[in-house]
Amino acid sequence: MFVSNPFALLAQSIPPFVMQIYVVLMILAVALGTLFDVYHKGSAEFFAQRRKKSQAAAQRQLAGWQVASLAARTIGKEVVTSGEFCKWQRQASHLLIMYGFLIYLITTLLMVFVYPRAARTPTAVTALWNIGGLMVLAGGLWFFFALKVNVAYEKHSPFRLIRADLFVGSLLASVAFGLLWHLVQTAHRPGAASLFLLACYLFFTTLLFVSVPWSKFSHMFYKPVAAFQKRLEEANGSSDLPAPAKTSNIKG
Amino acid sequence: MPTYVDMTRCDGCGECVEICPSDIMHIDRTYRRAYNIEPNFCWECYSCVKACPQNAIDVRGYADFAPMGHKVRVRREKEKGSVSWRIKYRDGRVKEFTFPIRTTPWGSIKAPDSYAAPDMKALSSPLLSHEPTALNVAALPMLASAKK
Repeated sequence: MFVSNPFALLAQSIPPFVMQIYVVLMILAVALGTLFDVYHKGSAEFFAQRRKKSQAAAQRQLAGWQVASLAARTIGKEVVTSGEFCKWQRQASHLLIMYGFLIYLITTLLMVFVYPRAARTPTAVTALWNIGGLMVLAGGLWFFFALKVNVAYEKHSPFRLIRADLFVGSLLASVAFGLLWHLVQTAHRPGAASLFLLACYLFFTTLLFVSVPWSKFSHMFYKPVAAFQKRLEEANGSSDLPAPAKTSNIKG
Repeated sequence: MPTYVDMTRCDGCGECVEICPSDIMHIDRTYRRAYNIEPNFCWECYSCVKACPQNAIDVRGYADFAPMGHKVRVRREKEKGSVSWRIKYRDGRVKEFTFPIRTTPWGSIKAPDSYAAPDMKALSSPLLSHEPTALNVAALPMLASAKK
């Protein structure tokens, strides 16, 4: 399973360009969905207004290098290490999902576009595709069954699905069916089971990328902007938060 | 003054949901961020404000004495055991206040279920559960008749 390319095996029955067209359509769906999301929710306008208010209330003007430094720190903390989370369990789960998804996505693109028919896809690529998928499943299932706030604090059943589950649910289903399909495929059992798993994989993958305007998918674009804006307001003195306390009240 | 959540700051950790004694801090079904579902039922205890690690919960003043244009922002610093308030009045004046919220380190207070269950003899004692040890004193003054 870790050494074979699932898409090269699929290419025996479906021409590679069909898979490539599907991938391009999904990329377009994400781009269009994100643009629609930004327009519909007015998030770009919201951040532009907030930026203007922040500049008007600024107590000191920041130099270009200071803004660049803030952007670098935002990328270094909030983006790369998911440092926004205050609980290590949620941070770890998010990191597993984020890096697992990135690895899974990049290796999928490589296998579909670079090695669609290659009998010898580098083992590193195929292994990383599986490892990425397993990382998504580990982080995602941990989140879905134990860390989801409505499950952990409101004591709802994890299966009581809400719209906020659309992203994580379709991602988990897509990856799980992808891995299961590959498992059945490599066990040399083509047939109804393999076809059914492939259909489920395609359905949930399409749902994941097409549902961007209704799901949390676009959080990966606007959350870094929100984190950067927060840092900017603190640095230029326009933050509306009170100043930190001067003394500690903790005894001992 | 009931509370509300700045959704761009909230990371959906659920601390406010757990602590709210009125059970009105809930999780939004679309974005999985906290929100106050019924400000009319807010006790104004500000437990959520003090529990929020992201300083995402603010206070909305009543319109009769804090009309539009005002702002109340709160910063909780658990390592210092303090909560600071920044009030921006409608005419632009700004005042800041800092108050202690506790003197012991955050997380150091034992939850009731971490104490051993008291035995039945405790029912006839004038002391409350785990007194005097939970009060960090050796003994509490009692009536002579109660000591027997």
